[in-house]
Amino acid sequence: MPDGQIVKGYIVPGLPHLVLPRDSSSRAELRNACRLAGANARQARPDVLVIFSTQWISVLGHMVQTRPNPKGMHVDENWYALGDLPYDFHTDFDLAKRTIELGVAAGLQIRPVDFEGFPVDTGTLVALDFFNPKNELPVVCIACNIYAGREEELKLGQAVHDAIRALGRRAVVIGSSGLSGHWFTKDIQDSEDRIVGDGDDAENRRMLDLIASGKFTEAMDAMPEYARKTGADMQFKAFFWLIGALGSKNVKAKTLGYGPVWGSGAAVIEFSL
Amino acid sequence: MSQKGQIVSGYIAPHPPHLVYGENPPQNIPRSTGGWEVLRWAYDNVREKIKAQKPDVIIVHTPHWMTMVGHHITRVPRLKGLSVDPIFPHLFRYNFDTAIDVDLADAIYDEAIAEGMTAKKMTNPNFRLDYGTIVTSHMLNPDWDIPIISLSANNSPYYFSLNVGIEEMFKLGRATRRAIEKTGRRAVLAASNTLSHYHFDREPDPNLPEDMSKEHVFSHQNYLWDMRVLQLMREGNMDELMKVLPQFIDATSAEVKSGGLFWMLAAMDFPNIPAKVHGYWSVIATGNAVVEWDLTKGANGHQGAYAHA
Ligand SMILES: [Fe+2]
Repeated sequence: MPDGQIVKGYIVPGLPHLVLPRDSSSRAELRNACRLAGANARQARPDVLVIFSTQWISVLGHMVQTRPNPKGMHVDENWYALGDLPYDFHTDFDLAKRTIELGVAAGLQIRPVDFEGFPVDTGTLVALDFFNPKNELPVVCIACNIYAGREEELKLGQAVHDAIRALGRRAVVIGSSGLSGHWFTKDIQDSEDRIVGDGDDAENRRMLDLIASGKFTEAMDAMPEYARKTGADMQFKAFFWLIGALGSKNVKAKTLGYGPVWGSGAAVIEFSL
Repeated sequence: MSQKGQIVSGYIAPHPPHLVYGENPPQNIPRSTGGWEVLRWAYDNVREKIKAQKPDVIIVHTPHWMTMVGHHITRVPRLKGLSVDPIFPHLFRYNFDTAIDVDLADAIYDEAIAEGMTAKKMTNPNFRLDYGTIVTSHMLNPDWDIPIISLSANNSPYYFSLNVGIEEMFKLGRATRRAIEKTGRRAVLAASNTLSHYHFDREPDPNLPEDMSKEHVFSHQNYLWDMRVLQLMREGNMDELMKVLPQFIDATSAEVKSGGLFWMLAAMDFPNIPAKVHGYWSVIATGNAVVEWDLTKGANGHQGAYAHA
């Protein structure tokens, strides 16, 4: 079996405003950037998607979805009025299992999740909507541990990387995460949306510039300060995980879109190898 | 015009899914060999009492429905489905089916708006109740023959500050009380909260979660804090209780930060009657107590004396 490889990587926002309501024309730049990311990813002919979502929160170690065919109806606890997110997708069980084994061997606590009705989160489903609209590709879904830091997420990403190589997969890896995490606490019209936190916009742009110029280690070093200032979505640890999965050599990054979702920062970043 | 309603009683009613798991009710899929009996027996006492009091509604404030924009109120006549705990799915996969008191939900919404708050009615029939609401509701009334209302926890105490959060909860409490009075309901309130909230970072034995030889409080310090707070409740010393709650939250990461207890005490007008502690025990090291304020015994309220600036 030939060694597997990761063909693309992405950071994409996970709030449902980018897919619901279906007929909305709001946030067109971000929606179009997400669509472009999905199209580019499919063009790279992957045979699996690996999705890490900041909205799938784990507390006791990490979790990896191992249910062969998660299906159900998800209603977001905040944004239920935008509509429902039905889902029906397939898990790459072998890749999920190998990721768990390699992560555990690296000293992580990781648990498989295989339960009917287990809630699949909004961030994962928004990513699937753009990257896997017909649910043709199998998926590995990974939770975001609220306590894990840089080292741990890098290890978790590395486990994904090694599992993909070992099983000969062509994979696209996706971190579903927002940037700055300050938001409007009162109702707004879509047309009033802007990055709401003082200084968040400048901080987001600085972080995006670091990433787009390939300075991944600098970006990681700057992360604690960035996260503290901007209340970043899960301290933007999805980036650590993604770098763990991609490796940081010979990776080019490009921002496909950037803008606000309900006051928070959101970007679509593409990583090419 | 209906008769003026009243709050019959208020409970701190913690929601570790372990309690449902230990009980093995037909609604829950996983099976156990028991566990956490002291807390479950505490709930047994409460169930009997609620059965006898025959309230019209149980209102639950839950930390596991965290909302970003305002305070949300369930407002569909019936909610049913399978609720799987995202943290403890091996313990809690529960088929729930409950009536919602939509008229009271409307009234709470109206009164919250009158308080100048941001509030929302949750009207999506596919909404899945969170496990905080379900565990608390089940432990208080496993027959589910009393309609409920679930109130979300607005995340203001985390997003802004504890004081901002408390102020919001006082308003929501007043709004809830007025809504109950205006709709003529006899209501039970439930603050779905754990006390000290530090927990093990891994389950001692995931294959036997109910192994009580592995269960203990997180630390003596946390235990002392829980006891101090419970003692103040037992003495009916509301002044001192309100004074120490912020320190308690700070010292033990207490889940009451999410607001339910402040909401309930405000709705009950800060009764300085002795509360009854039905039981206390740890669940994966967090401190949990079932505590009752029985307002049918008469309470001398503080008329909103605990205003936070
Ligand atoms: Fe909780």
